[in-house]
Amino acid sequence: MSDLILQVKDLQKTFHLKSGHVVKAVKGISFSVERGEIFGFLGPNGAGKSTSISMLTTQLKPDGGEILLDGDSVLQDPITARSRIGVVAQHNNLDRSLTARENLLFHARYFGMDPVEAEKKADEYLEKFGLTQWQDDYVRGFSGGMAQRLKIARAMMHTPEILFLDEPTTGLDPNYREILWENMLELNRKGTTIFLTTHYMEEPERFCHNIAIVNQGELKAMGTADQLKAMIPSRNILSLKLDKVDDRLVDAAAKLPGVASAKVQNGVLQLYLEGKPDFDGVIRWTEDKQRTLQNISLSTRTLDDVFVYLTGKAMNSAN
Amino acid sequence: MSEERKNSVTQQAFWAMVQRDLLAQWRDKKEFIFRVGMLPLVLIVVYGYVLPAIGLLPETFPTQMFAGMVGMSILITGIHGTAIPFTMDFNNMHEIEDRLQAPVSRNVVAYAKMLVGIIEAFIGGLIVLPISLIFMGSRLQLGMTAGEIPLLLLVLVLIALASATLGLLVGTVVKPPQIAAMFPGFLMPVVFSGAIFFSWYALDPVPVFQKLVLLNPLVYANEALRYVMTPQIRSMPLGYSLLGLVISSVLMGRWGFKRFHAMVEGDK
Repeated sequence: MSDLILQVKDLQKTFHLKSGHVVKAVKGISFSVERGEIFGFLGPNGAGKSTSISMLTTQLKPDGGEILLDGDSVLQDPITARSRIGVVAQHNNLDRSLTARENLLFHARYFGMDPVEAEKKADEYLEKFGLTQWQDDYVRGFSGGMAQRLKIARAMMHTPEILFLDEPTTGLDPNYREILWENMLELNRKGTTIFLTTHYMEEPERFCHNIAIVNQGELKAMGTADQLKAMIPSRNILSLKLDKVDDRLVDAAAKLPGVASAKVQNGVLQLYLEGKPDFDGVIRWTEDKQRTLQNISLSTRTLDDVFVYLTGKAMNSAN
Repeated sequence: MSEERKNSVTQQAFWAMVQRDLLAQWRDKKEFIFRVGMLPLVLIVVYGYVLPAIGLLPETFPTQMFAGMVGMSILITGIHGTAIPFTMDFNNMHEIEDRLQAPVSRNVVAYAKMLVGIIEAFIGGLIVLPISLIFMGSRLQLGMTAGEIPLLLLVLVLIALASATLGLLVGTVVKPPQIAAMFPGFLMPVVFSGAIFFSWYALDPVPVFQKLVLLNPLVYANEALRYVMTPQIRSMPLGYSLLGLVISSVLMGRWGFKRFHAMVEGDK
């Protein structure tokens, strides 16, 4: 039997802007997260990820829906919910008037922790996140990577059952991203459930047990990376950059032998193949159609392709 | 969490938040002394020492303005002490987010900020005393007796409360780019219409102005202090000035908390 730590049912949020515009940021999202997993909430900027995570962490009241933390309503008792979750915001919200160690210790006191235990925990997390030598420095001088690790250490101080991270690796250089992932995987191995949002594709594919894909406030698909990729009818995708692409050409491409379906993404014709690619046949076909082939490439399907397949747009141009 | 646990966490979190703000202010103490001491210093030197010394103001003027200096310092320091950190924490630095995420009612965050504003307000009032003694000591004539100290304390507490609630409101209304406009746009009118240099009854010849200044909480603060500390000067009946302070605190407090809730948009 599965052990669900978080259940979200029909979550909704609409913003009424001063200009009179109504923005439906989250349009009835439902999903659940199992205890002990790393859950990836994936979508482009503006998909409703941050709005959703704000509601899950009691910072924003939903207009409708229900959030259950281990079976208890978060909306009815947000105070208790806050004692059981850890939140790492996207931006740097560390306390700049305090040192690194004080950031952890004051957090512990805001959460009503025993002082002796707080000192012990602070030592443990400073060590674990490689910050011991900086513990008495003010955090205003910290680099982005150090600040990010301290933010996670702070959120872990009160031993949350589930840790929410909003775009934890955005803006960090690749080296720091790897270090941060090692830290997060370690926390997960020790039993912390991790919920993270990201607009990077390769990270959830490597690290997340389950992934939800959101776009324009709706849940498009959910499952393991392999399950999501299996939604695309083929393993291989042939991308053709042509001088001209129109609907008739796409229709014709979809009927080629060995092609399961065809789509255009950013002006590039994507052929989803049933089997192995037939380069010669495809090149001959473009010549028959009197198109100039500028580039041809073969890739195996990725989460990026799943996103394109579901929305018709690439992740980074889907705003 | 059980109710007992919630209460115990609330107490611990509240004092931790107060201590955090005091520690942050202590680390910035030079800025604090400069901010709190400069305005009364300039006003006392010019109006309490220079102008009476060269004969432009009467010798009794320092006595006239002493209560106003104390009131102004408390009120302005309290407004500053609550409002500026609020504005900066919320809008620029987001530092307050960790406190808002604590497992307590979010009002605790506002109460902690207000208590810090009150503490700073008292320090603001104390700073005026040595400056006054140095520059106006020989001309000051206080008419207060030891028996009136409890009354003075009540007045001081009410003024500090009024300043903290006003600070909460200002802090939740003003955005960081508007802070520069606060000095000429808000503090200056409050100071110069606040019955510092004149008692309220002295405004009889200008009845419109006399009515208008009743909107300024500093008027009630200074009139109450004047009643206690320099009773030889005619001031507003104490009941009225205390009532003015209470009404101001209630109105500003309610409005301020409404703004605060709109900003955190979480729970009660």
